[in-house]
Amino acid sequence: MKVLVANRGEIACRILRTLEEMAIPSVAVFTDTDRDAPHVSLADDAVDLGAAGEYLAIPAILKAAGKSGATAIHPGYGFLSQSTPFVRACTAAGLTFIGPSPEAMEALGDKRGSRSMAERLGIPVVAGAQEVDQLSRAEEAAERLGYPVLLKAAGGGGGRGMRLVRGRAELREAHAAARREGMASFADDRLILEKYLSPARHVEIQILGNGRDVVALGERECSLQRRYQKLIEEAPAAQVSVSTRKAMSDAALRLACEAGYRSAGTVEFLVAADGSYHFLEVNTRLQVEHPITEMITGIDIVRAQIDIAQGAALPSPVAPRGHAIEARLNAEDPYRGFLPQVGPILMLHWPQRPGVRIDAGVCEGQKVGSEYDSLLAKVIAWGNDREQARRRLVEALRELVLLGVVTNQTFLIQVLESEFFRSGQTTTTILESHAWPEPPVPEGLSTAARRWLSPAASPAPGGSSSGSSPWDELGGFRVGS
Amino acid sequence: MSWAWLSVGGKQIRVAIVRAGEGVWVGWSGQSKYFGPERSPRASAEAVEREVRAPMTGRVALVGVAPGARVRINDVLVVLEAMKMEYRLAAPRDGVIESVGCKEGDRVDLGHVLVTLAP
Repeated sequence: MKVLVANRGEIACRILRTLEEMAIPSVAVFTDTDRDAPHVSLADDAVDLGAAGEYLAIPAILKAAGKSGATAIHPGYGFLSQSTPFVRACTAAGLTFIGPSPEAMEALGDKRGSRSMAERLGIPVVAGAQEVDQLSRAEEAAERLGYPVLLKAAGGGGGRGMRLVRGRAELREAHAAARREGMASFADDRLILEKYLSPARHVEIQILGNGRDVVALGERECSLQRRYQKLIEEAPAAQVSVSTRKAMSDAALRLACEAGYRSAGTVEFLVAADGSYHFLEVNTRLQVEHPITEMITGIDIVRAQIDIAQGAALPSPVAPRGHAIEARLNAEDPYRGFLPQVGPILMLHWPQRPGVRIDAGVCEGQKVGSEYDSLLAKVIAWGNDREQARRRLVEALRELVLLGVVTNQTFLIQVLESEFFRSGQTTTTILESHAWPEPPVPEGLSTAARRWLSPAASPAPGGSSSGSSPWDELGGFRVGS
Repeated sequence: MSWAWLSVGGKQIRVAIVRAGEGVWVGWSGQSKYFGPERSPRASAEAVEREVRAPMTGRVALVGVAPGARVRINDVLVVLEAMKMEYRLAAPRDGVIESVGCKEGDRVDLGHVLVTLAP
């Protein structure tokens, strides 16, 4: 087996590391802007997708597989991971696709198909409507369900092509935007419409299948979101009752069995304030937040995917141990509407602590551009209990240094330290319902920075002579450069 | 780039410092900040009233208006896309479009003037 990883960023790096551990030769692909990205140097072989290349270009990726002698493709998440034309093209080219069959992907990955299947199996779903591509049909459905409603790209995921509509006046523009975003992200502009259920917790079940049997690896709580994109996730979902978690796990297994599911997948639910659960959708791929499940089960989910693709048995379900929390470090400004940020990474220091794992996709010197996802790295902490995991994650985020691009690092610490997070009162709307003021800069620090900026303050810190640096004048001492 | 210990309010904090052109980035206790000249051209007070600028670097996904068009407050002017997400830029007030400084598919930098309203 030789595996081409058809992705970039942290997930490409994470998959390449498991391939290395399994002594399976690997191939990376890259675009012009990613020539110096870390995933390129982690692989045994790397193929340039060409000037017009993109991670969404099926012919370019198949050509790269042919050129490098790859026999299998791992798609990661996003990009082509849920594209049935891509899965079929891989099969036609004689390549093993590390993921579900195109039939299972169609049955479960499509929001319309999976809702219908859940209803047929007697699994509760959020009230909604399927045929809403025409604006007039969407208007009818929204009137019937009552505002607010959510418009969602039927072929989508990851918060793209999703719009909250609070009233009729907003529907037309939201409808057009959701279709446009669905087309740009997944080449699919079909929509569904759902009643907006709030406040609620977002809970999802990790499953692994081999086409015949399916196992569940427990749940994750991913309620803390912004722009429908998850920010902080944890496992297990300690605030949801054991019986509800068991019912969701059983429902997930029924859906996956019905579809003959193979590889890793996630079945997502909303849990309402009254404890009732409602099926949302299935992600027919590896998910961003899979490491927290790995931390509490000890199962390497990417390794399981590769084993399953080679015909090996499913891992046995295990009792979870301890608690894990993940925070997503994004290039965005949480104090200015979460606007995406770009720039060169000038300085980078990752925390090194017991129980802490970093899944990063960036390196010092790299330029963060606006072409791709804003996710820079995931910081994941494990503890014997939730509080230990939380404290470890906070300390890790305090130690982390990333300079040159504005990130959400400080905001993540604020959320993890908030009273509602400590007490486990996490819901899908709680981040928006709180005010998050930007913490002030300590007086001594801005004074030092301003003085250092003045021409008289040369030589710069980092130089060998340090006599005239304001840092020294303030009573500090340099510890290294 | 370097590390330093700084005394702030009687407490020692570890600070990371790196030069960025004319400015400097400083990181401490999970926070970071850039000090120095503005990273994008700043508009005059009069221009702020009339100009809708790109709040981030990205691609123009949609231009909703043409010069001469009459707009109401909160009408969509331009939709920008970055990192696969769309951002809606709306009319800050009722008015008439004087000029449009971008077209669909353009890559624009932070601070680029997208639309100018007549005074």
